[in-house]
Amino acid sequence: MSDDILLEVRGLRTVFDTRSGQVCAVDGVDVTVTRGECLGIVGESGSGKSVTFASVMGLVRSPGRIEAGEIVFDGTDLRKLSPRKMQALRGRDIAMTMQDALTALNPALTVGEQLAEMLEAHDDDLPRRRGARRAAIQARSVEMLTLVGIPSAGDRLRQYPHEFSGGMRQRIMIAIALASKPRLLIADEPTTALDVTIQAQVLELISKLRAELGMSVVLITHDLGVVAEHCDRVMVMYAGQVVEEGPTARVIRDPRHPYTRGLLASIPRPALRGQPIRPIDGQVPDLVDLPPQCRFLDRCPEAGEACRHLIDMHPAGPARRARCIRIAVPETEKA
Amino acid sequence: MTFTRFLERLLQLIPVLLGVSVIVFVMMALTPGDPVQIMIGDQIVTPEQEAQMRRDLGLDRPVVERFFVFLGNALQFDFGQSFYHRRPVAEVILERLPATIELTVVAMLIALFTAIPLGVLAAVRKNSIFDRIATVGGLLGVSLPGFWFGILLLMLFAVHLNLLPVAGRINYGISQGITPYTHFLLIDTLLNGRFDAFRNALAHIILPAITLGLPMTAILMRVTRTAMLEVLRADYVTFAQAKGLSRQRILWRHALKNALIPTVSVAAIETGSLLGGNMIIETVFGWPGLGRLVVESIFVRNYPLVQAAVLLYAVIYVMLNFFADILYTILNPRVKL
Amino acid sequence: MAAFVENRLAFGSAIVVVLFVLMAIFAPWIAPNDPYATNLFFRLQPPVWMEGGEWAYPLGADALGRCILSRIIYGARISIFIGAAVILVATTIGILAGLAAGYLRGWVDVVISRLVDILLGFPYLIFAIGLMAMMGPGLGNIILALAYKEWVIPCRVVRGETLVTRELEYVEAARALGASGRHIMLREILPNILSPVIVVATIRMAHVIILEASLSFLGLGVQPPTASWGAMVADGRAFILESWWVSTFPGLAILLLVLAINVASQGLRDAFDPRFTE
Repeated sequence: MSDDILLEVRGLRTVFDTRSGQVCAVDGVDVTVTRGECLGIVGESGSGKSVTFASVMGLVRSPGRIEAGEIVFDGTDLRKLSPRKMQALRGRDIAMTMQDALTALNPALTVGEQLAEMLEAHDDDLPRRRGARRAAIQARSVEMLTLVGIPSAGDRLRQYPHEFSGGMRQRIMIAIALASKPRLLIADEPTTALDVTIQAQVLELISKLRAELGMSVVLITHDLGVVAEHCDRVMVMYAGQVVEEGPTARVIRDPRHPYTRGLLASIPRPALRGQPIRPIDGQVPDLVDLPPQCRFLDRCPEAGEACRHLIDMHPAGPARRARCIRIAVPETEKA
Repeated sequence: MTFTRFLERLLQLIPVLLGVSVIVFVMMALTPGDPVQIMIGDQIVTPEQEAQMRRDLGLDRPVVERFFVFLGNALQFDFGQSFYHRRPVAEVILERLPATIELTVVAMLIALFTAIPLGVLAAVRKNSIFDRIATVGGLLGVSLPGFWFGILLLMLFAVHLNLLPVAGRINYGISQGITPYTHFLLIDTLLNGRFDAFRNALAHIILPAITLGLPMTAILMRVTRTAMLEVLRADYVTFAQAKGLSRQRILWRHALKNALIPTVSVAAIETGSLLGGNMIIETVFGWPGLGRLVVESIFVRNYPLVQAAVLLYAVIYVMLNFFADILYTILNPRVKL
Repeated sequence: MAAFVENRLAFGSAIVVVLFVLMAIFAPWIAPNDPYATNLFFRLQPPVWMEGGEWAYPLGADALGRCILSRIIYGARISIFIGAAVILVATTIGILAGLAAGYLRGWVDVVISRLVDILLGFPYLIFAIGLMAMMGPGLGNIILALAYKEWVIPCRVVRGETLVTRELEYVEAARALGASGRHIMLREILPNILSPVIVVATIRMAHVIILEASLSFLGLGVQPPTASWGAMVADGRAFILESWWVSTFPGLAILLLVLAINVASQGLRDAFDPRFTE
C-alpha cells in the first residue's frame, strides 16, 4: 500500500511574517497523493491551497517560510534536500502549471525557447553534440506541442506567447510542464482564466495526458464541479486547514462538513434548476492571531458552544475524514 | 518588425529633424548685433572683405531664403568657413569628432556595464546593505556636479597619487608612428600592435569617461533596480522556478530581458546628458574633442561652428533615440511599432 | 503630509534646503566678509584648520584674496534664484500648454506635441549652451535659456494627467452643467493633477541648479565678479596643485543643496503617491 504513495505531506505549517503579525497561511495540513491518482484541492482564495503546493515545490517567497512539517516525495524528504537537488527535482519530478498562461509564459521569449530550456535543464538523454542536441530538442518540442494539440507545431515554436489564443497558451504551458515527463503535476487553477468551452477541453487534455504518461495530478481549483468530473479524491481547505477529504463521489453526494455543504449549495447546477443559489454568509477569518476554536464557527449555521475549542479531523466513513465535531457517521458506513 | 514599418518610422523623423534645424537657424538669426561685425572683432578688414563675408554668409538675402540655403548646405555637410581656423567648419568638426565619440562610447559602456549588474544585484538583494549603498550611490550620482567631481578625481589620481595623466588623449611622444585607421585611439593603438600606446590612451580616457558616465550610471541603476523588482514578482519568474531552471538563467535570461525594456528607453534619453556633458568634461580634462572646440568657439565668436555643432549633436541625439526605439521593439515582441 | 514628516531622512533634507534658502536671503548678515573685497595679502589663504589659516577666512581665500565662505553664501542667492525662477516660469508655461494640449486636443495638441518633440531632440545642456552663446551671458538670459526647454517636462506630465482626468465623471458633470473650458481646465482639472506637477518641479529644480552651475563653470553664466558656485569651481581649477580648497568648497555646496533637494523630493513623491514606494 505505502509503495503506492507518491507524495506525503505531514503537519505542514507555512507562515508569512507581516507587519500586522504572523499570518499562518497553511496550518497543520496533511496531504497524500498516490501514484496515478487525481486529487482535487478545493477552497476559496486565501484558504491556503496554493501556498500548500508552493511549499511542496519549495517556492514559498519571502516573507513566507515553512515552519514545520514533512514533505516526503517518493521516499525523500524534500525539506532536507539541498537547494541544488531541489532545483533539479522541480520540473523533472514535480511540475506545475499556473492559473494564467498569459502571465506565466515569459512575454519576451519564444515558445520554442521556453520549451527548449526545460528540456536542456532536465533531459539527460539528449545527445552531447551541438547539432544533434539541437535537432533532438527541436524534435521533442514539436512532439510536446503536438501532444497537447497544437497544429503545425514546428512553425509555432518561433512565435511569442502573445501570438497565441488563451486556450492555446494554456496548452503550451501544460506542454512545457510535461516536457520532462514528471511523476506529479500540480495544476493550479488551470481553467479559471479560460472561456467555459475551452475549460472543458483543457481539463480533458490533462485527464488524457495523466492516463498516457501515468502521472499523478493535483488539481487546485475553487470549482467543485471540475473536481466532480475529473478527480478521484477531493480535499476541501478552509482558512489554512483541511476541513474534509475523501473519495469525490461520496463527498459530493454526502458532504460531512458544513463548509463543504455550503460550497455545494452555492454551485448553480443544471440538475437543480429552479433552486435558489445560497452563497455562504460571512467572510474567511483573519489569519492573524486566530482564537482556539473552529475556524468556520462564525459562518457555520450549525455552530454551538462545543465548537469553541480546537477541532481535529475526525473519521467520517471509509477513507473519509472531516474537521467537525458534529459528524454523525451512518452505521452502515462505519468501517 | 516589418521593413515598411521601419520606413514609416524613419519618415516620422523628418518633421522632427526639420524642426530642429529651424530652431538652430533661428538661434543664429536672433543673435543680437551684426554677425559680421562680431566675427571681425578687432581684426582690420577692408570694406570689400566685409562685403564678401556678408555675401558668403548669405546675409544680403531674405530670411526664408537664407533658411533654405542653410538647410541645403547642411544636407551636404557644408557649414561654411570657420574664420578662426581659416578652414571649412565641417572639416574642423570632423577632425575633432572621433575623440568625442570615443569618450562618449566608453562612458556609455562604463555606465551600461556597471549600472545594469548593480541594479540587478540591488533588486535581488533588496533591503540588504548592498541595496542601501546602491540607493545612496544612485542619489549621489545624480546630485554630483560633473565638472566638480572631475576636478576632485584629477586632484586625487593625477596630482596627489600621480597615477593617471592630467589632460589630453595620449602622450605626444607615444602617439608618434601610429597609423590612424579609425581615428579612435583605443582601436588604432591595438591595430598598430602598440600596447604601450593603448595603455597610455586608456589611462587618459578612464577619468573623463567615468566622470561623464556617472549620472547615466546612477539613473540606469535605479531604473534597472525598479524594473527588476517588478519583474521578479511576475508569474513567469515563478513558473521558470517551477520548471527547475537555474537561478542564473532565471535572473539573466527571464527577468533581465524584460527589465531591460524600460532601461533601454531611459538609456537613450540619458545619452543626451552624455552629449551635453561632453562640453563640460572635455573642458575639465583637456580632452581634444568637439565639445571643447564648441566652448572655445563661443569665446572667439566662431558662430558658424557653434551652429553646426549644435545641429550635429541634435541630429545624433534624434538618431540615437530612433535606434533605441527599434531596439525597444526587438526586446519587446508585444509592441508593434 | 504626515507621511512626509515620518520619513526622517526626507524631512531632514527639506530642513537643509530651507537653511540654504535662509542663507541666501540673509547673506549680507551671515557672511563674515564682503564677497567682492579683494585682498592680495590673503591670496590663496588655506582654511582655518590648516596651517596658515585663520578665523577671518574660515574656508580660506581665492586667488584674489576673497573670502570663499562669504562667496559661497552669496552664491546660494544665484543658484536658488535661478533654480526657482526657471522652475516657476517653466512650470507655468508647461501647465498652460499641457492643459491646452490635453483638454482641447485637436490642432492645439498637434502643434504643442510637435514642438515638444522637436525640443526633446536637443540634448539639454547643448541647447542651453547654444542659446547662451547667441544671447550672451547674464542672469536673465540664463533663466530664458533654461526655461525655453524646461517647460517641456511639466508640459508632458500635465498633458498626460489631463488626458486621463478629462474623462473622469466629475469633469463630465461639470461639462454637462455648461462650465466653460477655462473653468474646467483651471478649476476642475488643475487642482487634481497638481501633486505630480509639484513633485516633478522639485526634482527638476535640482537639475536646473546643476545646469546653471555648469553654464557658469564654462563661463557662459553669471559674469564675474558675481559669486556663482559654478564659476568659483572654475576659478579654482588653476590651483588644484596646492590650493585644493578654492574649487572644493563651492562644489561641495552644490552637491549638498542638490542632494538635499533630491532626497526631499523623493520623500515628497512617496508621501503624495504611495504607489511609487517599493
